[in-house]
Amino acid sequence: MVNRKFAKVSRFRYFALACLLILISGGLVLLPKYQKHEGIKSEELLSNVISPERYISTDQVASIIINQDPSYLLIDVRDEESYNKYSLPNAVNIPLKNLLDENSEAYLNQDEYDVVLFSNDNFTADQAWILCNRLDYKNLRVLEGGINNWFNTIINPAKPTENMAAMDFELYSTRKAASMFFGVVYPEQVKKQQVVVKKVAPKKVVVPVKKKKKMPAEGGC
Amino acid sequence: MGPLIPNGIIPEEWNSIIAILIGIFFGFVLESSGFSSSRKLAGVFYGYDFAVLKVFFTAALVAMIGIFYMDYLGYVDMTQLYVHPTYLWGAIIGGVIMGLGFVAGGFCPGTSLCAVAIGKIDAIVYVIGIMIGVFIFSELFDFFQPLYEGYFYGNITLMDTFGVDPYWFVFIFSLIAILAFVFSDFIRKKTKKIFY
Repeated sequence: MVNRKFAKVSRFRYFALACLLILISGGLVLLPKYQKHEGIKSEELLSNVISPERYISTDQVASIIINQDPSYLLIDVRDEESYNKYSLPNAVNIPLKNLLDENSEAYLNQDEYDVVLFSNDNFTADQAWILCNRLDYKNLRVLEGGINNWFNTIINPAKPTENMAAMDFELYSTRKAASMFFGVVYPEQVKKQQVVVKKVAPKKVVVPVKKKKKMPAEGGC
Repeated sequence: MGPLIPNGIIPEEWNSIIAILIGIFFGFVLESSGFSSSRKLAGVFYGYDFAVLKVFFTAALVAMIGIFYMDYLGYVDMTQLYVHPTYLWGAIIGGVIMGLGFVAGGFCPGTSLCAVAIGKIDAIVYVIGIMIGVFIFSELFDFFQPLYEGYFYGNITLMDTFGVDPYWFVFIFSLIAILAFVFSDFIRKKTKKIFY
């Protein structure tokens, strides 16, 4: 009796399995869709944002430019107007609003160069950095303090006062040298040139002094 | 072992041990469900037994639906999964050769080893044939290389090729599978019954 009942039910077992398959695969279609995160997870992004590792100092950038390090790519994320007014040498202009364009992806999403993003301060560059970092772009850095800090440290370094440490003086002299590289002329530089000119000007009057010839020994014993 | 070993939940050293255990279990299931019989495998081509079609189609479906659900629920990141790269003509020609070998010998490489384990002589011959094939291929690799490495299409999936929504694809694919099962049953009833 039980067997017969079981046989009756089990006749439909393939039909039931097929229905189950359709049900669960149909469920997949009917499930409410949600926007998936593109790129890295939000926790990872947060930990990246908190970490100050992305910052690169103006001194480092200056040495990169002076040494013509080919592995770095400087990207100006300000608008075109400011870029045309002033930018770092050899920088590429990708305004923040054009950051996710197809053309700019080739610059940002690659493994060959270290990308240094900069703007007037580091806020716009940080925004660009976050957008790119979320898309899992690699090797992105942000110039700390941006162009303002660039002016304050490299172009116009503050002169250390007498009571400061020797290290500050060394730093000042390297920064000063760097700024000279970027075309800043210091007053003492000009003075020195004048001094050089003055030194050349007066002619030395050479007065030949005749040496007295030694008298040949006369007489003798 | 998917996410467990790279994340250090299971130590790296267990990798091959787990592989062996899974292999033994897989072989056991293959043998106990009759897949070490060349008559059963060849039955797909002659229309008296469609177990192979049903088993592999169902396995693919179950895995696919399971992965999509896990991806939806966030347990598995589908973008991180390995997708086998497509070498179009290499795959087509290789598939034809494999199919011919399948219908002529009555085994696929996996089931042939399974049948060797239970001592079938035709399977032993078949495996020797595989070895000879491997030898010929490696000796003539320079000749086959353009085919082997050419026509590369990257790690594409059917969803990329057809540009369909993946969920709809799963649904349509399972409908196709069920239709195939019904159709194969229909054919099986038409053909003469063979006892083996």
